[in-house]
Amino acid sequence: MAPPGLKVTVKRWSAVASWTWTADDDVCGICHMALDGCAPGAAGPGDDSPVVWGKCAHNFHLLCISTWLQSKTSCPICRRNWEFAPSAPPPSATLAEDG
Amino acid sequence: MRARQAGTGGAAKKLVIKPLRAPSLPADFELATWHKLQAAVRAVHEKRPVESSLEELYRAVEDLCTHKMAAATYARLEHECEQHTERALRQLASASSSDPSAFLARVHGAWLDHCQQSLMIRSIFLVLDRTYPLQTAGVRSLWDMGLQHFRHHLLALPDVLVKTVGGVLLHVQRERQGEVIERSLLANLVRMFNALQVYAERFEGPLLEDTAAFYAAEATRLLDACAVGDYLRHVDTRLGDEAGRVHAYLHASTRKPLLAAVHAALLTPHAEALLERGFDALVEEARHADLRLMYSLYSHVGKLRLLKEAWAAHVKRVGSALVLDVEGEAGLIPRLLELKRACEELHVRAFERAEPFGYALREALEAVVNARANRPAELLAKFFDAQLRANAKGGGEEDVEHVLDAGISLFRYLSGKDLFEAFYKKDLAKRLLLGRSAHVDAEKLLVSKLKAECGAGFTNKLEGMFKDCELSAELTAAFHAAAPPLGLSDIELSTHVLTTGFWPPYPPIELNLPPQLCALQERFTAFYLGKHSGRRLTWVHALGHCVVRAQFAARAHELQLSTAQTVVCLLFNDAQQRALSLREIATGCGLEDKELRLTLQSLACGKVRVLVKEPRGREVDDGDAFSFHDGLQHKLHRIRVNTIQLRETAEEAEQTELKVCVDRQYQIDAAIVRTMKARKALSHTLLLTELYEQLKFPLTPVDLKKRIESLIDREYLERDPRAPSSYRYLA
Repeated sequence: MAPPGLKVTVKRWSAVASWTWTADDDVCGICHMALDGCAPGAAGPGDDSPVVWGKCAHNFHLLCISTWLQSKTSCPICRRNWEFAPSAPPPSATLAEDG
Repeated sequence: MRARQAGTGGAAKKLVIKPLRAPSLPADFELATWHKLQAAVRAVHEKRPVESSLEELYRAVEDLCTHKMAAATYARLEHECEQHTERALRQLASASSSDPSAFLARVHGAWLDHCQQSLMIRSIFLVLDRTYPLQTAGVRSLWDMGLQHFRHHLLALPDVLVKTVGGVLLHVQRERQGEVIERSLLANLVRMFNALQVYAERFEGPLLEDTAAFYAAEATRLLDACAVGDYLRHVDTRLGDEAGRVHAYLHASTRKPLLAAVHAALLTPHAEALLERGFDALVEEARHADLRLMYSLYSHVGKLRLLKEAWAAHVKRVGSALVLDVEGEAGLIPRLLELKRACEELHVRAFERAEPFGYALREALEAVVNARANRPAELLAKFFDAQLRANAKGGGEEDVEHVLDAGISLFRYLSGKDLFEAFYKKDLAKRLLLGRSAHVDAEKLLVSKLKAECGAGFTNKLEGMFKDCELSAELTAAFHAAAPPLGLSDIELSTHVLTTGFWPPYPPIELNLPPQLCALQERFTAFYLGKHSGRRLTWVHALGHCVVRAQFAARAHELQLSTAQTVVCLLFNDAQQRALSLREIATGCGLEDKELRLTLQSLACGKVRVLVKEPRGREVDDGDAFSFHDGLQHKLHRIRVNTIQLRETAEEAEQTELKVCVDRQYQIDAAIVRTMKARKALSHTLLLTELYEQLKFPLTPVDLKKRIESLIDREYLERDPRAPSSYRYLA
C-alpha cells in the first residue's frame, strides 16, 4: 500500500545494465581486437571470449594468450614470466556507475 | 533289290511314254479374244453395260495369259486406256466454264469416272494384273498405269490443272471467310492431287502463299481494330480452324507448314507491337487466361524472350514506382508483398512455372527492392517489428509464420542486409527489454529463418541477445533468492544484463536516481560483481522501465513509465500540491535538457496526461510549470505511458544508418587492401570488378574511388607513375 500523502509509488523496476571487462586496456595486446569484442576464433563476445589477467597485470583474451603460451612462457608485453592472476585485480578506475 | 531280281529274271516289257500332243489353238484365238475384251473395255469407258458375262471375260484373260500372250494383251489394253484418258481430259479442257465450282465438279466427275473404270477394268484383267507386271521389270500394275496416263495428259493440259488448283484455293478462301463449302469435294480433289503426285509441287506451295497473304491482310485489318486479348483469341481460333482444315481435307504433311504460315503472318511480325500495346493492361487486370494464351502462342513462334522481358520490365516499373513513392512508404512492404504474390500467381497460372520466367521475376524483384538505397531495408525491419510486437493485430501462429515467410522472401532480394540487421537488432532489443515481444517462439523462428538465409555469422549477435535474456531471468531469480527484500520499499527489481558486443550501443542518460532505486541498484551491482569478477556494470537507463502505482483523485492507476519518466514523477511526491518549474525539475532529476523536454512532453502532452503543463501547449518551453494531474481519468487500470521508448526518432535512424555506412567503409578498405596485397598491382577497372565481387552491399564507383584515394593518402597504395589508372600495393 502506498503510504498516505505519496502520489507515486514504484512497484516494479525493470532495469537494464550492460557489462564489460574491468580491463585497463581497450584492446587485447595480441589480436588487437577490443577486449569487449570477439577474439579471433571465438564464437562471440562476452562469455564466449573471456578475458584473463596475468600477475603482471596485463590482460588478454583467454584464447589469444593460450595460443601464445603454447610456444612461449612469458607475457607478450612485459616479457616477465607469465602467471595467471587468480582473479581480476580490483578495478583501478572508479566503479562505473552513473546512478 | 526286287526290281533287280525281276530284271534278271524273265524278259522285261518296255513301257514307252509318248509325248502329249497339245491341242492346237485356233489361228485367230488371240485376236478374237482381244476383240471381245476390247468391246468390254470400251463399254466400261463409255459407261454402257458390258455384253459378255464378267466371268467369261475373266476366263478369256486367263486363257490369254496361259498362252503367253500377256505382253501383247497388256500393250493393247494400255493403248486403249490411254486413248480414252486423253479423250476424257481433252473434253474437260475444251469445256469452257466460267464458274469455278462447276468446273471443279466436272474435274471431280472425271476423276471419279477414271477411278471407277480403272477398278472395273482391273477386275476383268485381274489375272493379267496379278502376273505380268509382277514378273516383268519396268511394267506397272494396271491401276498405276491408269494413273500414269491421267497424270501425263493432265500435265500436258496446264490450264486444267491450274484452274483446278485455283478452284480449290478459292474454296479454301471462302471457307476462311466464313462460308460453308463442300468439304468432301475438296477432300476428293486433294486425294486426286496426291494420287497424281502433284500435291507437293503444284498445290501445297500456292496454298501456303495464299494462306500467308490472307492472314497478313487480316493482321493489318485486325491489329488496330481489336484489343490485344481479343486478337490473341482470334489467332488461336484461326490456328484451330487451320488444324481442322488439315484434318478434314488436306494432307497431314501440310499441317506444320500451314500453321507456321499462320503464325508467321498473324503473330511473328507483331509480337513486339502486341506486347507494347496490351501487355501491361493484361497484367494489371490479371487476365490470366489471356496471358496463358499469349505464353503458349509466343512459345510456338519462339518469342518467349520478348514476353519474358516485357514481364520483367513491367514488374520493375510497377515495383520501382512503389518503392520510390516516398509519401506512401509506410505501406510499402505489404504492397511489395502483394505485388510479389500477384507475380507468382501469374507465373504459375499463365507462364507454366517456366524457369526462365522465374529467374526473370527474381531479378526484377531484386531490382525493385533495391531501387532505393537503404530505406527498404529499414522498412522491412520495421515490418517485422510490427508483426512481432505484442500489440500487433491478432492472428494465429500459422498466420504469423506465413507473414514472416513472406517478409523473408523479400529480405532475400535485399542487397543492404547489414543495414537491415542494424535496424532489426535495434527493434529486437526494444522488444526484448521493454517486454513488448508477442511470442518468443515467433522471434526465435524468424532468427532461425534469417540464419538459414545468411548463415550463422549474420544471426550470431541476435542469438546472443536471446541468451542474455535467458541468463538475466536466471540472474534475477537468484538475486531475489539471495537478497531478502529491503523492508523499506518492496520494489521488485528485475535486471537485464547485456553483453556489450551483442546489443546496439545506447547513449548513457544522466539521471539522479531516487534513494530507494539507488539502494536497489547498488545491491544488485554488489550481487552481480560477487558472482562475476573482472566485470563492470554500466546501467542503461534509456531502456529501463517501471510499473508505478499512482493515486489520482478518482482512482489509483498502474502506470508503465520509463525510468526517466518515473524519476520525474517521483519529484512530485515531495512537491505536495505545488507546481514545479522546468528548472526545478531539471535540478531534481538531473536529466540532460533535451532528454528532459522529451520526457516532460511525453508525460504532459501525450494521450495520457500524468502531469499538467501551465500554460497548455504541445511544446515544452523554458517558463513552463508542471503539476501532478489529479483529475486524470482513464477506463483502463494499467496505462502505458512509456511508448516514447519504443518509438524511434529520425535522428536515431540516421545514426544507425551512419554507423552501418562507417562499417561499410572499413569493409571496403579491408577488401581493397586484401586484393592489392594479393595482386601487388592492378588497374582501376580490374580492382573495381574484384571489389564488386567481394562486397555484398550496394556500392557506387564514387564510394570506392573515395576509399582508394583515402588509402593512397595513408600510403597503403600508390598510383603507378607509368600508368596513371593503375595502383600498386605498398608493403
